[in-house]
Amino acid sequence: MVRKGKSAWLVHDLTHRGLTAWLLTALLVAFYLLLYLTHFFTPVARSLGLSSKWTLYGLLYTLAILTGGIHVLRKYRRNRYQVVRTSVVMFVQVVFAFSIPEILKFFHQPEYYFSYFWPLKFDDLNPGVVFHLPLFYALYSFLGALVMVPLLGVFFGKRWYCSWVCGCGGLANTAGDPLRHLTSKSSRAWKFEKISIHFVLAVSVLLTALLFISYGLGHRATALSRFTYDFQTVYAFLVVAMLSGVIGAGLYPLGGTRVWCRNFCPMAAILGLVQKLGSFRIAVKPNMCISCGLCSKYCEMGIDVRSYAQANQSFTRASCVGCGLCAEVCPRGVLRLENARLRTPQGASLVRIAPLTSASPLSPGGQR
Amino acid sequence: MRYVIIGNGVAGITAAFTLRARDASAEILLVSGESDYFFSRCALMYAFMDRMSLRDLEPHERRVYAKQNFRLIRDWVTDLDASRRLLTLQSGSSLAYDRLLLSTGSLGEVPDWPGLNRVREGAVHFVTLQDLGRAESLARSAREAVVVGGGLIGVELVECLVYHRLKVTFHVRAPWYWPGALAREEAEIVSEHIRRHGVDLRMDEEVAEILTTPEGRVCAVRAKSGHEYSCQLLGIAVGVSPQIAWLRGVKTPPRLGRGIQVSSSFETSLENVWAAGDCAEFSANGAPFIEQIWYSARRQGELAARAMLGDTIRYDPPIFYNSAKFFGIEYTATGEISPSLPGVQTFFCRLPAREASVRITERAGAVIGINMLGARWDHSIFERWIAERRDMDYAVAHLPEAQFDVEFGRVDLTPVAAAYHNWRARSAAAK
Repeated sequence: MVRKGKSAWLVHDLTHRGLTAWLLTALLVAFYLLLYLTHFFTPVARSLGLSSKWTLYGLLYTLAILTGGIHVLRKYRRNRYQVVRTSVVMFVQVVFAFSIPEILKFFHQPEYYFSYFWPLKFDDLNPGVVFHLPLFYALYSFLGALVMVPLLGVFFGKRWYCSWVCGCGGLANTAGDPLRHLTSKSSRAWKFEKISIHFVLAVSVLLTALLFISYGLGHRATALSRFTYDFQTVYAFLVVAMLSGVIGAGLYPLGGTRVWCRNFCPMAAILGLVQKLGSFRIAVKPNMCISCGLCSKYCEMGIDVRSYAQANQSFTRASCVGCGLCAEVCPRGVLRLENARLRTPQGASLVRIAPLTSASPLSPGGQR
Repeated sequence: MRYVIIGNGVAGITAAFTLRARDASAEILLVSGESDYFFSRCALMYAFMDRMSLRDLEPHERRVYAKQNFRLIRDWVTDLDASRRLLTLQSGSSLAYDRLLLSTGSLGEVPDWPGLNRVREGAVHFVTLQDLGRAESLARSAREAVVVGGGLIGVELVECLVYHRLKVTFHVRAPWYWPGALAREEAEIVSEHIRRHGVDLRMDEEVAEILTTPEGRVCAVRAKSGHEYSCQLLGIAVGVSPQIAWLRGVKTPPRLGRGIQVSSSFETSLENVWAAGDCAEFSANGAPFIEQIWYSARRQGELAARAMLGDTIRYDPPIFYNSAKFFGIEYTATGEISPSLPGVQTFFCRLPAREASVRITERAGAVIGINMLGARWDHSIFERWIAERRDMDYAVAHLPEAQFDVEFGRVDLTPVAAAYHNWRARSAAAK
């Protein structure tokens, strides 16, 4: 039941796909279309003394993360994991995603974002770009994407990036917090996600390969490099501008905060595959779940956490970004995020104490 | 084979899934007058507080029922004729069964308070989906509420009403909150916390009379202390009792006590009729007992289904455990946790600067109960210690193994170890 009072009604409407939510969506979509496709914001940025519309956008984005972050820090102040994680994500945004690139520009260095990696930041492995960077930045781009990202993923899961470092996740987990429950939990949405995210990953890998080939062949393959150039333009428009910008952020009030991260982000796809092989998991305390469903409701990645919890199954899902909100909202403390390899003996006992029966009738396998 | 299950709560639905897992071709029918689909009763409060929609309370996607080939019937059962293996439904249709499971759950208990029979509007329980509907519509108009009953449903209802900005008075008959499970020191932690949320919590307060307007609307509660509490909403949360009234008038009633009497293999006195969950009454050493929590209903539903399938079942309730949340304070109980057990030694420690405590009870050198407030614990590890008859030294030394707090949030247990050391020294000196 919606709380009494006018402001409570408005909050509910805004966070439950009411009229105001649709209006906000229209506004956000219009904003992103103007930002990506026109020069509308350039004079606005200039009049504020900012160098470009992208600096203005970065500033707004950082402010959104900071304001939302303060709200989240207060809301979950009793949960140390949330406090630490939110502080880190705010810090990364302010320092690595906003200040350092501006400072580098000031000192006539390349405008480099240390908190983004290939394939999310596509140009990081684009030979035409990265080979023209000073050695340090080029090395960071290569080693970051190919060594650091997967390695940390093995040990800490996808979360080290998607809910601790990344700006997309940063916005979702701060300013987007009141909208996190809107993500679809249906098994159909899960099926769609598995196809779409790996499709985008395949496309981005293919494009990177083409870029390397045409760079290697140089002038000998003009047809190929023209095709690659067109391919890259289409990719930049469809994936970067439309999917990550207009759809990803614009649809917050209707589709939840992780439309981009869950369905399209190629970096999330890689990290998800790594996570399945790594040691991160959500441990389930046996026979304690009351099936209330708060975990599923507040999962921004649309994972039906309850189906695992009520079946006494500890689990690792590729899409899980390890935000830890399922564990936070669980009224019975059933869930615990952990890196299984770094775990104290209780991990072992969780396995040893068998659930009710070996083939639990409520297992998610039985459902799908 | 046609299985009919009356009641689609957690006992009934668990039974249905268990039957299906073992018998792919059986006809399985679930009859419920309360709801179209199984929902989590423990989560009613979250719907009341706008954290979830009613649909969110359903633990399974609806298409699962079609996939499992369950037939769901929304109706009340009005008659049971075991000699013809036939049910009559309120709609008038009849329903034949080969094997029948009664899993009708419980309803809020109706106390015999003077004046309650005059009430037409304003009094609610908080157990069923219909109770939720009534509570919601009352909460819209009411400004003040009185909730009576010092257990778990009471505090949940109080939390909901506080969320909706009602002025809530919470009446507890006992000298401290929930003496069945909490020691006085634990109840103090909980009471302080409840009061901090703006609730007027009254101990040792008993209802003398419910006052109503001439139209039968609740307008106040007069307590035995003489106080009169004005209210437009009266929450009755003095306990639950098995939903069996409907069985008293049927053609072939099963043997009834406080609940439906069953053997240790869930058989009622009627042939081909079993019962499980809140409504089932067992007898242990001649004394009747009924389990009325989510976990027991789920366990019983599964075992009763296996009994219906022909397995040899002897239900022996395992080591007790339960969990709850009092506003923000999480609670985990394992084993015998009543604070008034004879012949036991109890170590209690309140953690400094937290709303948290540890209570371990030992009898004849073995831990029998562990009662925890304000932190997260894995009860299954406590169960193991109790089953293995570990002593208190062992339990205190191994407490960190059972911690289930969030990362970075592990509660520091050094004060517990220090307090335990002192307590041991004192009890040795006393000897």
